[in-house]
Parts: sequence; structure tokens; C-alpha cells
Amino acid sequence: MSQSTQLDPHCMAIMQEYRDRRPLFAEAELKIAALLRQSLKEAGIHLASIESRIKTEDSLEGKLERKGNKYKSLADITDILGVRLITYYIDDVDKVATAIERLFDVDWENSIDKRKLHDIDSFGYLSLHYVCKMKDFPYRFEIQMRTVLQHAWANLDHDTGYKSGVEIPKRYMRSMSRLAGMLELIDEEFSRIRSELTDYRRKIHKLVSSGNLDEVPLDGDSFRSFLGLDPFRQINRKIAAVNQAEIQEVSLLPYLAVFKGIGCKTLGDIHNIIKDNFEGAYQIACYQMGLTDLDIVSSSIGPQNLCIAYILKKGWGKGGVRYFFDLLNGKEESNETVAEMIVEQAKDLPFMNQQ
Amino acid sequence: MKTKVTREEGQITIEFTGRLDTPAAQEANPEITPLLDEADKTIIIDCKELTYISSSGLRIFLTIRKAAEDRKGKVIVQNINNDIRSVFMMTGFLNLFEIR
Repeated sequence: MSQSTQLDPHCMAIMQEYRDRRPLFAEAELKIAALLRQSLKEAGIHLASIESRIKTEDSLEGKLERKGNKYKSLADITDILGVRLITYYIDDVDKVATAIERLFDVDWENSIDKRKLHDIDSFGYLSLHYVCKMKDFPYRFEIQMRTVLQHAWANLDHDTGYKSGVEIPKRYMRSMSRLAGMLELIDEEFSRIRSELTDYRRKIHKLVSSGNLDEVPLDGDSFRSFLGLDPFRQINRKIAAVNQAEIQEVSLLPYLAVFKGIGCKTLGDIHNIIKDNFEGAYQIACYQMGLTDLDIVSSSIGPQNLCIAYILKKGWGKGGVRYFFDLLNGKEESNETVAEMIVEQAKDLPFMNQQ
Repeated sequence: MKTKVTREEGQITIEFTGRLDTPAAQEANPEITPLLDEADKTIIIDCKELTYISSSGLRIFLTIRKAAEDRKGKVIVQNINNDIRSVFMMTGFLNLFEIR
């Protein structure tokens, strides 16, 4: 205890209870954090961070010095144990709140939604504070929920001393308030963008599932949905059958850059490459693997041979094949050697002479 | 066929010499398996002296890749000759590894 503080006997008794019960609070802190992590993970809510702390002895002493008479015992102080949950999105704050309501008993009388305290023309601290109770723990604790941007503002606000009781010039207060308004707007924009992206993904998924591939622009989301339909399964199986090979499934996401690089604009363009080059891709595989005893291929072999057949049929030659491997593997001198090898092998294959 | 494993700080180098065919792959497996627990490091597979690779050999490469993927490590295949590069290409393995 600091030398300068003089607490009355009542507050000294609260301080002693605090010291005696500190291990209990530490145990509860771990338990609450674990429960929250588990529950939010199950709810699919991604948090920026979970912070928790037990009030320090100095901090409690200061509080008791200022308003010790307000509290009959340690149980009346609700923020000895505090947890802060920081979300990325503003609409996740309410989802987190719902999860907390399911996990703990919320003391509604002492909980406060600071987001609703502002007048329509004022901006500032936005956070949702719940005072909670948990089974087998006799003390209440506080959980604060806010977004990353609200958290940043609150920290900066605290740092500037805006709320420290020291009066600061009105123009600085106005600047802080303006900043709060701006961050509120950005928070809402992030949420709006997320909602629109989710709608876009649903729409693309629906178009892909219904087979309207010509209408689906080629991008990361649509390509992922397309891969969900296993579009290269048939060509991979056909190629694997050459040597009764096992197919090792690997991610085909690197082919997004390849298909874009060779000019595909929609999923329909990829679908056409598969349809029009199936035989060519198979002939390449037969030529290359037929005289070997290789009985393993990766699921990358289908799209690889389809792209090569497409490029060769287009007449893009060695440069085109090298460009394909540059897109797939990164620019390497050795891609030139591989391209040369393939062009040489393919020149007598039937698909090359069927225009 | 010889397999040589060397460790430097944060990096393991596996050198295959000769033909990595089915019997050689079986022989190499006991040397490779303990390394999989250390696949959070960078694993360099040096093929400078590797003259031939069969499907069993490719499976060893895949096993190492899988372990590295699971443990957030990295696999680099270096000094492969054109015959082995050709095998990697025709099986769709070429883009599964960082090849130097």
C-alpha cells in the first residue's frame, strides 16, 4: 500500500478481503477466458483479442479512497476482475454479447451499453459493458466488448487525458469527438463491406451450383466454389487410369493465377478449356506416362495437361508453355527446359493435328 | 542408394545419391521418418547425385511435404536433373515443391 494513502478501517477490511481472495480471482480469470474462447470459437466469431486483468492493489486502493463508502464489501465492487473482448466487426459485438448471456448470468441493473448513451449529435466512447456472475464464484466481474477501432479510440482518448477530469481546450475535445465519429463510420463501412461480400459469395456459389458458369467472373471466391464441384476429377481419373495410378489430392488454388494468365475471364472459360482439351490432356499423359511404371500422380496433373493442350492448340508454342510454368511455379530458367521437352513430345500427338 | 542427413541451425538437408527406387525408398524410410517431427524447419532435399526416382521415391517427397505443411515448415528441392524434373512434370509434382 502506498504511504500517502489513508484508508478508513472499513476500506482496510475490503483491502484485506481482496488480498485473501486474489488467488480465487486468478483462478476465475483463467476459467472465464477459457469458457469465452471455447464458446466464441464454437459460434464462429473471430476476435481480435481477449484481454483480462485483476485490479491491482494500488488501483483498488485509489478507488476506495475516492468512493470507499459506496461499497459494503468486496462483493459490491464489480470490476475487480475485468475481461475485454475486442472484435473486428461492429455487428460481432452483439453476437459476442449473446454468447456471454448464454454463458453467464448478466446483472442487467449494473450493465451498461455505452453505445446508446450518446445523443444523436455527439460522438465518443462506444463499448458494451456487462457485469456478470458465474456459478461457483461468489464475485461479480465485468466484461467489456468493443471493436478494434472503438478500442483504439478509447486508448487514445485515455492517453490524451480527455476524461481525466483535467479540462482540455474545446478545440481538442472537438477533434477527439470528430475522430470518434469518423471511426464509427469506418466501423459501419467494414461491416457493410463484409455483408456485401457474404451476399456476393452466396450469389456466386448459387450460380456455380446451377451451372451458369458463363455468368460467373473468375476470382478467388468463384474459383474456390468451382473447385468445390471437383471439375478436374474426370480428367484426373482418366490420366491416372493410364498406369492405374493413385491420385494425391493437392490444392488447386494456384491455378487461379494460371487460368487468369491464359485469358480466362469467367468460370465458363475454364469449363470450355476442360471440354475442348480433354482429349489433348489425356494424349499428353499417355505419351509421357505410358512407358513408365509411375503409379502416383497429383490432382494437379489434370489442370496442368489441360492448360498445356489449350496453349499448344492455340499455337502459343514453347513460349506459351514456358509462360504457363512461370505462372504456376514462378519464373525459373528450368521452365524453359520443361517447355522445350513438352513441345517436342507433343508435336506428333493427334490433338495437335486436329484443328 | 545412399541417404545423408545433415543439420544446420534451423535447417535439415537430405542428400539422396543414386537410384531412389522401391527397395531404396524402403531403405531410406527409417532415416526419413524421424525427420518428420522436425518438419517445422526448412528441409532441403538435395538431388545433385540422384539419378532416378520411382513412384516410391515420389511418395517419400510427398510425405516430407505433408509433414512440412502440417508443421508450417518449408521444403526446397534442389539440383534436380532433367530426367527427374521430367518425372515431376508428368506426375503433376512440379508445382508442389519449391524447386531450385
